Amino acid sequence: MLELDGLCKSYDSIKAVDNISLSIAPESLTVLAGADGAGKSTLLKIILGLVKKDRGKIYLDQKPIGSDFSKITSITGYMPERFSLYTDLSVEENMNFFSDIQEVPRRRREDLKQRLLEKTGMLPFKKRRAGALSGGMKQKLALSTILLSSPDIIILDEPTTGVDPLSRIEFFNIIEELKEEGKTIIVSTPYLDEAEKGDDIVFIKNGKIIKQGSIQSLKENFPARLFRILPEGNIFKAIESIRADDEITDNVYIRGRYIKYMQSGTAGFIDRIPAKEVKKVSPTLEDIYLYYERNINAV
Amino acid sequence: MQFEDIIRVNELTKKFGAFYAVNRISFNIRRGEILGFLGPNGAGKTTTIKMITGLLRITSGNVFVKGLNVKKQIKQIKAFTGYMSQKFSLYPLLTSLENIEFFGGISGLPRKEIKKFQQQITDMIPVKILKQKIMDIPPGIKQQVALFTCLMPDPDIIFLDEPTSGVDPKNRRDFWMQIYKLKKAGKTILVTTHNLDEAEYADRIIIIHNGKIIRQGEPSTLLKNENMDSMEDLFKKAVTDHETN
Repeated sequence: MLELDGLCKSYDSIKAVDNISLSIAPESLTVLAGADGAGKSTLLKIILGLVKKDRGKIYLDQKPIGSDFSKITSITGYMPERFSLYTDLSVEENMNFFSDIQEVPRRRREDLKQRLLEKTGMLPFKKRRAGALSGGMKQKLALSTILLSSPDIIILDEPTTGVDPLSRIEFFNIIEELKEEGKTIIVSTPYLDEAEKGDDIVFIKNGKIIKQGSIQSLKENFPARLFRILPEGNIFKAIESIRADDEITDNVYIRGRYIKYMQSGTAGFIDRIPAKEVKKVSPTLEDIYLYYERNINAV
Repeated sequence: MQFEDIIRVNELTKKFGAFYAVNRISFNIRRGEILGFLGPNGAGKTTTIKMITGLLRITSGNVFVKGLNVKKQIKQIKAFTGYMSQKFSLYPLLTSLENIEFFGGISGLPRKEIKKFQQQITDMIPVKILKQKIMDIPPGIKQQVALFTCLMPDPDIIFLDEPTSGVDPKNRRDFWMQIYKLKKAGKTILVTTHNLDEAEYADRIIIIHNGKIIRQGEPSTLLKNENMDSMEDLFKKAVTDHETN
């Protein structure tokens, strides 16, 4: 559906987006995963023509868009990281306002509004002032407003940053439903647990793609053996003493009450790690991110 | 072993109009512990921290920090507490070194002391980066600078409000190693987070929802008592239990 080819954007000496090429399949969910400042937002803004790229091409349905971004924006709903709602207006009034802006035909409006608020679970709060909504609910209202134009492509920039774990799960359930309905969705997030929902995962750091693939291929091709270790006593004390061993130090990290050990080569040092319990486990996306992120740093 | 309660929160309440953001909560923080403060958005976490640190007026109830009353002796309390707010409030147009100078000045540090701190941070972060505007430096470093400024008067008690929000897995872990170092140095730390794996790094956690405490205790004990394996599940259960009651 969308093809990005060699996109670049620099601010002075900083390469915000550094030669990114990416193919986005129709009716798929692409997740851009990376920290604040990795280049995710800049990339999304380049696609929408909100930031001028220095180099690179964008294709929509195999045709280059050139400088005519309206080809994309006319079929795209975009929710920026800092989205705007009118806090003094009610949920319903916000929907009416954005219907006007997006020129939703009058006869369709009521029905559409009802359907979208129902889908996002916001119908019971129709009369509530947007300013009185919780963080997660504001997010859902913002999503409802961008759906008013019935976009084919939906771009969501860090919709769940700072949102609590339960609201995040709910939000991603809605995104998955939208995909089932045939929407093409690109979403950026710093949370790797929710990135697991994507069809295509793209890890971004320092403006570059450090690894990408389907969740299945990333997991199947994970080039290390992974062990989960339950340490004796305090986790921080345990990892400090394990890291004193030079051959292990770069290969261990903490995760909740466990220490994880990535064994990349054939030589394993698992026996040198004191443990209450050791288990070989399959990698989560967080483990996969940490593996490739570490390799980037090593280069 | 006896613990000394360095902070005592008693029936603390904050009302905004008719809305109870924090509703008669009581808890203690022990000297030298890492206390994890969890809860959904709008649960009252930040409001509670702001009342304890004197940034927000208390509607009713009391907070004592090292025996001092927040309502009356906030100036003395501020001298030994550090606060790192959500989205850490560094000035984006100033460099790291300038931010340190600014926040050092606010904390009333003498010029010589500030210079010493500026020197100290060059051991951790290259000078070249410290001379760049905050808006131009990577988030992991920004976070280190923010923590550094909050530690400048060398506080005994440190409040960290969502310090790892939007931070990647590698930097989140590095940050927690720093928190642990502070604990080893004898500091008392209250930290809020939405990354539930991090809750297990705390000595104790408190989960709040709708301005009330709905769970508190050691993470491993809480998990064991409710026969749960993950913090995510515990969090979900605590919140839904509270909502259905």
